[in-house]
Amino acid sequence: MSEHSRSAVTRRGFLRTGALAAATAPLLARAPFAAAQGRATKVLDFQTGADVARAEQEGEIVYYGHDGEAGIGVLLDSFKKDFPKIKTSYVRLQTGALYAKITAERSAGRFGVDVLQLSDISPAIDFQKKGGWEVHVSPELSAYRAEHQSSPAGHYTWGGVSFAGIAYNRSKVKPAEAPKAWKDILNPAFKDGVTAKLAASGMQHAQWYVLRKLYGNDFWQQFARQRPKGFDARAQLFDRLSKGDDRMCVLAEYAGYTLFAEKGADIEFVAPPDGLPATAFFIGVVNRAPHPEAAKLFVDWALSKRGQAVYQNQKILLYGSLRTDAGPMPTGKRLSDFKLLFPTDWNDYVASHPVFVKEWNAIMGL
Amino acid sequence: MVGGAAAVLVLYPIAYLIQAALSVGDPQARPPEAYGLDNFADLGRYAHIFGNTLLVAGVATVLAVVVGFVMGWILSRTNVPGRAAFEQLMALPYYVTPLMGALAWALIGSAGSGFVNQLWHALGGRGHLIDINTPWGIAWVMALFEGSVAFVMIGAVMKSMDPSLEEASQVLGAGRVRTMLRITLPLVLPGVLGAAVFVFAEMLGSFSAALVLGLPSRFYVVTTAMYQLVSQYPPRFPTAAAMGVSLFAVMFVMVWIYRRIVSAGNYATITGKAFRPRVMDVGGLRWSLLGLCVAYLGVAVVLPVLTIVYASFQRLTTVFPRADNFTLVNYATALSLDAVRSALWNSLLLGFATASLGVVLMGFLSWLIYRSRLPGAGAIEYVLMFPQAVPRLVFAFGMMWAWLVFPIPIYGTLWLLLIAYLTVFLPLGLRTISGVILQIDRSLEESAQMCGASWGHRLRTVTMPLLKPGLVAAWLLLFIASVRELGASILLMGPKAKVITPAIVESWFSTSSELTAAMAVLQTLAVAAALAVLFTVARRAVQHGGE
Repeated sequence: MSEHSRSAVTRRGFLRTGALAAATAPLLARAPFAAAQGRATKVLDFQTGADVARAEQEGEIVYYGHDGEAGIGVLLDSFKKDFPKIKTSYVRLQTGALYAKITAERSAGRFGVDVLQLSDISPAIDFQKKGGWEVHVSPELSAYRAEHQSSPAGHYTWGGVSFAGIAYNRSKVKPAEAPKAWKDILNPAFKDGVTAKLAASGMQHAQWYVLRKLYGNDFWQQFARQRPKGFDARAQLFDRLSKGDDRMCVLAEYAGYTLFAEKGADIEFVAPPDGLPATAFFIGVVNRAPHPEAAKLFVDWALSKRGQAVYQNQKILLYGSLRTDAGPMPTGKRLSDFKLLFPTDWNDYVASHPVFVKEWNAIMGL
Repeated sequence: MVGGAAAVLVLYPIAYLIQAALSVGDPQARPPEAYGLDNFADLGRYAHIFGNTLLVAGVATVLAVVVGFVMGWILSRTNVPGRAAFEQLMALPYYVTPLMGALAWALIGSAGSGFVNQLWHALGGRGHLIDINTPWGIAWVMALFEGSVAFVMIGAVMKSMDPSLEEASQVLGAGRVRTMLRITLPLVLPGVLGAAVFVFAEMLGSFSAALVLGLPSRFYVVTTAMYQLVSQYPPRFPTAAAMGVSLFAVMFVMVWIYRRIVSAGNYATITGKAFRPRVMDVGGLRWSLLGLCVAYLGVAVVLPVLTIVYASFQRLTTVFPRADNFTLVNYATALSLDAVRSALWNSLLLGFATASLGVVLMGFLSWLIYRSRLPGAGAIEYVLMFPQAVPRLVFAFGMMWAWLVFPIPIYGTLWLLLIAYLTVFLPLGLRTISGVILQIDRSLEESAQMCGASWGHRLRTVTMPLLKPGLVAAWLLLFIASVRELGASILLMGPKAKVITPAIVESWFSTSSELTAAMAVLQTLAVAAALAVLFTVARRAVQHGGE
């Protein structure tokens, strides 16, 4: 890394984040959390609110998620190793299509999903409004800050964080031209050689939002002049960057960088001093789940140190853990080594989504 | 009744699609909160995308039909060396699939890292020699792989043609090319038109080539735009559905043109007069024609397959091999994925079921439309062509909504995928079989009837043997089309009913070109093995039957 976070992230960003939620959530969360703790049992090395015997009797979990096939495979296989009596199956789609599928199924009276994981907070909140989440206050929530839980707690939880900087191909970009700050992505020298994600991405929304707040509403309009190319996933962005099809990626997720740098790609990751846009994934038990105890067990496991180690250490996933007792990532870095930029007002963030989609589609030529 | 059932199969999800296209309230609300035409009025914003789609589909159709006709003529009507072997090999581009072809051609011809351009730079060239990420590149890749579909459709018709007509032309002094253009082409017109209508519609709904090759150049067609619209949150189903429904108009025009042409002329080439299929001696020209066959198979099969196999053993694909860049890890990862382990088997099973049931259903429907003189038979054809008019991704939304509320619990199972495949491939089966049916003169069946043969006996002893080439072609097309199906499967797969192609595309999104290449190779090997087993079993059964 050429430039990483000299300004440690401090959890100041988090504390700034969602001031309202931060003020109210702990109070709202505490009561059910305490109740849940009373029912908690220890299994392996984590606490669960589920009845493990019943979960094993149910014998199955149906998981709907947004991660790639390989990532979901690693996650479910790790769970199966710990609980071999519980079979797993899954559906994988991008968050928009996934959410459309589950809402269509539920509106038709079909309730076949146990656990849902989304990469965008907007549908997670919408699902809560629709009563889609089962309120399950995991005993493992004691290791999570209130602002990383739904309000009230128990609907969904921030299961891990992904963040993005800038990346460039060293053989295609001269050292003097190499970007160092976010405003460098506007350098006309990169025109027609820049990539980002499409509007389906929750991470792209987060970046659009926080950089717009930092640099003004016309920042992205200036960026549009670069004629950026849009892709669906980080692997595509880094695959192309590594091969030299593109010169710079402006939504370079650290997890993608790590994966391709390890394969020997001649790429560089830049952490601009103003910070790295970040977003989480959101996980919870689905209301009217066909295997409710197994679902609770899975979510408790996913939020535990054990599950978080899978999310954080498996390079195909590489989500930074938000547990207060989380260890470093496989690269040796901790989340606190990066200056992360989260939206500060979640209501405003969710409300900005339609504006983002419209503007971003136009920027990407759709 | 069968026609009615098939029509219901098509119209039931279409009704949900039209309902979504007319929804003007909350785009996620089911059923819609309010109705209106706003979504159609809004389509003007996407005029450039419709223009892109028509451009790519038009160019690719012309290319594919030319390839299909020329290859069909060479392999059915001339004495080109190795004719029988080439005829078998011509199905290979279809097995290779547009997705694998697009992935391969992206590696071969990308402006930045394409193999050709890497070699060009190594030789001191500047800029890029070729760029596959253009509308022409997309059309080229689509045509390469749909060319074999056009070949199967046109070739089946050419094989059934009495050569005496061509011979008469040559006896009267016409040259070989003149005979091909003035005699062969008009006689196989239903097959050519059927292929053109089918291929054009297939191109309109083509997804994978446009996705892999179009995104890097900000070039969207209707399918890739729809995919983005329904992947976003909140998914913009109404806009996507309106886009899909508007394509019906294009398809209606195509079917209308086809029916006008075939109803205006008599294209029967199989009559009561006996003939033995013979080929023309084209003299020295046969070596040039052989070169054409080799060149086509080279760019459509050999080059892409070698590229994909090569990439599947690499860490980061580059045209210049390096020992430390070779790995088996892509195969190890691919084989560890549930998507490959169980989905591949499901895909083969569904392919077999769809092809076998489909040939019976679609053969009967073709007969119903073109032979039964049933009132409303023409209307049935229009209805059955609907699935071809709308991209399968959007059609799948209609199917999802329709079958979610259906009282029989097949949602999320392989049964739903089977119904979906039988529905979306109705046009493919109909076009392939009806091209041959139109060539069989009614007098043959009428003669049998005059001799006292019952309907069943006529069908078994006269119609079916004559239809055999068309039915075999249809079975093969349906099998491969099912195994490689993407658009409808993405949404209709359940947690325990997965198929392979969506997993390959998903791998392209979320892992790397190299792992995706390994998965595509495994898919191709599995299909090849399955077909080899099926053909061996079928051959043995025929031999045993003959003993």
